[in-house]
Amino acid sequence: MSDENNSTLWTTITRLPENAWRSVFRNPLPSSDLGRASTSFTNFFLHLHPVKTHRHSLKATYTFGLGLIAFFLFLILAVTGVLLMFYYVPSTTQAYDRMLDLRGTVAFGIFLRNMHRWAAHGMVAVVFLHMCRVFLTGSYKPPREFNWVLGIVLLLLTFFSSFTGYLLPWDQLAFWAITVGTSIAGYAPLLGKEMRFLLLGDSNVGQEALLRFYVLHVAVLPAALSLLVAIHFWRIRKDGGLSRPPEEDELGTPQLQPVPMPLGADVAAATAKASVIAIPAIEKRRYGIQGLVRGPFTKVGNVPDRSVFSWPNLFTAELLIFVLTVAGVLVVSLFFNAPLEEPVNVMHPPNPAKAPWYFLGLQEMVSYSAFWGGIGIPTIEVLILLLVPYLDRKQIGVGRWFARERLLANSLFMTFVIVNLILMVIGTFFRGPNWEFVSPW
Amino acid sequence: MEPTRHKTVTEEAGDPITRRKLLTWLSSFGLFGSFVIAVFSNLIFMKPRATYGQPNRFGIGKPEDFPSGSRLSLDARRVCIVREGDRMAAISTTCTHLGCIVSKSETGFSCPCHGSRYDQDGNVTGGPAPRALPWYQVSLAPNGELEVDKDIEIDPGTYLRV
Repeated sequence: MSDENNSTLWTTITRLPENAWRSVFRNPLPSSDLGRASTSFTNFFLHLHPVKTHRHSLKATYTFGLGLIAFFLFLILAVTGVLLMFYYVPSTTQAYDRMLDLRGTVAFGIFLRNMHRWAAHGMVAVVFLHMCRVFLTGSYKPPREFNWVLGIVLLLLTFFSSFTGYLLPWDQLAFWAITVGTSIAGYAPLLGKEMRFLLLGDSNVGQEALLRFYVLHVAVLPAALSLLVAIHFWRIRKDGGLSRPPEEDELGTPQLQPVPMPLGADVAAATAKASVIAIPAIEKRRYGIQGLVRGPFTKVGNVPDRSVFSWPNLFTAELLIFVLTVAGVLVVSLFFNAPLEEPVNVMHPPNPAKAPWYFLGLQEMVSYSAFWGGIGIPTIEVLILLLVPYLDRKQIGVGRWFARERLLANSLFMTFVIVNLILMVIGTFFRGPNWEFVSPW
Repeated sequence: MEPTRHKTVTEEAGDPITRRKLLTWLSSFGLFGSFVIAVFSNLIFMKPRATYGQPNRFGIGKPEDFPSGSRLSLDARRVCIVREGDRMAAISTTCTHLGCIVSKSETGFSCPCHGSRYDQDGNVTGGPAPRALPWYQVSLAPNGELEVDKDIEIDPGTYLRV
């Protein structure tokens, strides 16, 4: 620092690469705990994480990384989606030809479309599994009620994104699935017809509907998803990190010895200040790390809890999940092509006209009663899901899979999941022409 | 502790509207009102005043084009033109369940999407359909062409004599 003022032109030039690098990355690769902490909060992307992570949160068998996988799939969808936008035209006369162009003339076109399609299927599945994980470990309980609510909204946005997405190829599946789907909206009481008209921009699925779904799919819904994902992540930290059983926070005798590490010159002042900040912060550990990183200090050394530094423990875990997620999508996209049916024929619905697998449970219910199957029961299900953390508030069985104390809640939830899965399986495999019962064998 | 004079006044007088409180209420009301107006304006913007799709009133040709006893489905228009003797009618082929196009079957109409079935006159005979297929008004235009108006539903069994 001090020799900046008397540096010669030569040293300025020779040190330019190093200075430029260090202006971006303030810390060299960390070799000490101070460095590990400092690296975490001087990097924009890393500072979204806590400096230290509880060991329990890093257990692969606790979270299975489902939330992260969902997020990384969303990133893949955003990147491949933007790339596909360069070639796509939301026009009823061109959209399908553009799909064929992706197959025929665009370099990597078919591969990008495969990635986008399979990542979308994956995201629906993983977001749902993530919800199951959070429920079955009792992680929605206070103080995490609101984050559960955000999660449900994110699940619905994921469904709606995929729903708007599959009109875009303008093939037979697209047209008839949206015809059926928006007719379901028309059954909503009072405003149903209005909502349908607003969504389609016309009384039937056509050019206006394609344009509207395109705008929703590429602008409105991704923006809403991004904002809510950011809040969802931020709330994880504000709610005290991932849920864990209270035993995980119990230790023998806490040795409260925060070791202040001054970065500046006034060591003595820093030491005094650090101990003032650190001690109450550790006693009330939920905001412990937040409290500690204020000012130019960090807590290193004998830390009386079961947390480890996020660099490298959390970040390598995240990198691993990222690599595995990308690899999974790449492999599936190499071996399986995204389906593309015949171009739209408004006169001949395919028989049977089936939605993608994750909506077939809904379609199965709709085949009994359009209002109850398409509006009534789904609305009740979503309302119950939203209310769950406000009804079940007892702090028991938090942070463990299938806790015995939560037998009733978990059984009810599993029933809900299994019933929906059975409906999905019936709709997928046991329904043939005219939606009549058929045997898949 | 002795309450300050200001506090005593506000507590004993119940709820006197101070200037500050009034301004807070008015500005909150204004902000919230503007928000509601903005939301409604957006919804009005989103609702198209003119649509670009097919017109709901269209010509289908001369009565001679339809032989007696014929049941001709105009799938692009989503109507089935029925002629029995000198009586003509137009029955919707949009399934009342979820909007698929019903196809003609031996007993009437059947829907490929969720298995709704209708008889020759469009009455529901099975499946999840909640209502019978509507009948639309058929009229004879001055130029001798038949015209169907899908905005006007008529009672089932009402025929146009040609």
